Amino acid sequence: MNAVEIKDLYKSYENGKIKALNGVNLTVKDGEFVSIIGPSGSGKSTLLNMLGALDVPDSGSIEVAGQNLNNSKKLNEFRAEKIGFIFQLHNLIPNISVVENIEIPMYTQKLSSKEMRKKALKLLDDVGLKEKAKILPNKLSGGERQRVAIARALANDPSIILADEPTGSLDSKTSSKILRQLIELHESKKVTLIIVTHDMDVAKLANRVIEVLDGEIISAGDDSLINSKIDV
Amino acid sequence: MSFLKFILKNPFRRKTSAFLAIVGIAIGIIVIVALGGITDGLVNTFEDTIHAGGADFQISGKETGDSAYGTNTIDASWTDKISNVSGVEEAYPIYVVLTSVGDDYMNTLIGINPDGTQLADISMKEGRLFENNANEVILGEIYADDNGYKIGDNIEIDSENFEVVGIFESGDSNMAGGVFTSISKVGELMDDEDSISNIYVKVNKGEDPQTVADRIDAQYGDNITTITSVMEMEQMADMLNMLQASTWAISLLAIVVGGLGIINTMLMSVFERTREIGVLKAVGWSNTKILTMIVGESLVITIVSAIIGSLIGFLACTLLGPQIGIEPLFTPKIFIQAFSIAIVVGIIGGLYPAIKAVRLPPTEALRYE
Repeated sequence: MNAVEIKDLYKSYENGKIKALNGVNLTVKDGEFVSIIGPSGSGKSTLLNMLGALDVPDSGSIEVAGQNLNNSKKLNEFRAEKIGFIFQLHNLIPNISVVENIEIPMYTQKLSSKEMRKKALKLLDDVGLKEKAKILPNKLSGGERQRVAIARALANDPSIILADEPTGSLDSKTSSKILRQLIELHESKKVTLIIVTHDMDVAKLANRVIEVLDGEIISAGDDSLINSKIDV
Repeated sequence: MSFLKFILKNPFRRKTSAFLAIVGIAIGIIVIVALGGITDGLVNTFEDTIHAGGADFQISGKETGDSAYGTNTIDASWTDKISNVSGVEEAYPIYVVLTSVGDDYMNTLIGINPDGTQLADISMKEGRLFENNANEVILGEIYADDNGYKIGDNIEIDSENFEVVGIFESGDSNMAGGVFTSISKVGELMDDEDSISNIYVKVNKGEDPQTVADRIDAQYGDNITTITSVMEMEQMADMLNMLQASTWAISLLAIVVGGLGIINTMLMSVFERTREIGVLKAVGWSNTKILTMIVGESLVITIVSAIIGSLIGFLACTLLGPQIGIEPLFTPKIFIQAFSIAIVVGIIGGLYPAIKAVRLPPTEALRYE
């Protein structure tokens, strides 16, 4: 089964002046680890937003995790149940504790307070930050914050994780650590992982590298790129 | 943490903005509570002053005209008739005569029932009330001072000897200059025990005195006349209306200021949290949930403000009011009003920024710096 099926996707902004996506066709298999690479303004983030139902296309069809996103009105439910987001700047809520940040997506589920806390602590344990559950995010290092963001992305057991430049603001050592953790979680939880990056070293870690330029996919990648030459 | 607990705790995570919002709204609530207490207190005092000891109006014989203390009499049986008129709570007779009192050849002697003193607008300063039908009098403090009488002194009235048993105070200078004894004793002195000069009438709570007076006039207008102090009542009504209108005007101002304050606070809070709202959308929160959160937070702030504002308004008025001659009156109505206003302001103040927030596309919210 395919996690993503996109056909002839178009998206433009400012009354068609900016063509962000220009006839994109893409298929991603369930459990696959895919990276999307391209220069700034190439349309890779727009593509990721479409996959996460944060934005809607002008035309073309898009189906993610078995759900057609073109006409769906309950996109928030889709995001809550199927998608886990990781942003470049972690986007943790600053004035609530680390564990409360992880609980935020769980408010969309029918879980008791106790169940939420138990699950959040387990996820924090998975990313090695259980002891920092009660502190505020600003007391954490950049890498630790991104690990909390990863735990939050997994809060509702999504089938797809969408990561937008997850290591963009981190040094190379921390970046490697975060990527290793992300790949481990992708493998252990068998979730589809789609990373947007402009860093080829990061992109090469994926099963497949998709190259985007001027709103078009210029290369859908091949198996020769499986696993990186760099040590993560 | 439950969603409710999350909403309850959320506003206080941004301590400075929560503090400023609470101060702003609490000031509005203080104004509403304090003004309400002061106005109700003033109205209460005003009514006490206007209504002679609780009587709403008086009745006299037709020929006595407007003179409350005229010497013309009516039959004592009118008291019972007036008591039975719809809307009348109490009717008390009073017998006012001009006779020789002490060294004065002619002075006013007022006869009342010993249990009718409240209606006659007097309160004992010293001593006790006279016994029914006894040769005992109580003197108004002005009369006692002017004539040098004190308790235990004897005073000759209409050739009979009376003992001064009490001295009373009255806001009415006519009363304070008077000499009182029991109504039956006055009847006996006048040799006319079936007569009285006036009837004091108190109407049931919620009844309009003028309406009851009109009712009596319609029924018995050929024989008696009601003296409602129309001018006084109209002036009082005008003044009360003015007081209430002023309170509402100032309260409205307080509501507008408080309301704008909370809208501003919530708008600022929503702007500050634009990216956070983007995250909430990204993780799947519905618009309804985000709306509930923001309006809920707004309500938490306004209710806390209402509690603090009500307490400060109540304490400030209760402690400071008497020192500047104001006796505030706090009824549950004032607090219900303050809390209702706070809740309405909280909902409206939170709703506008909440709607603005949920309309923001998630991608735009996430890009917000």
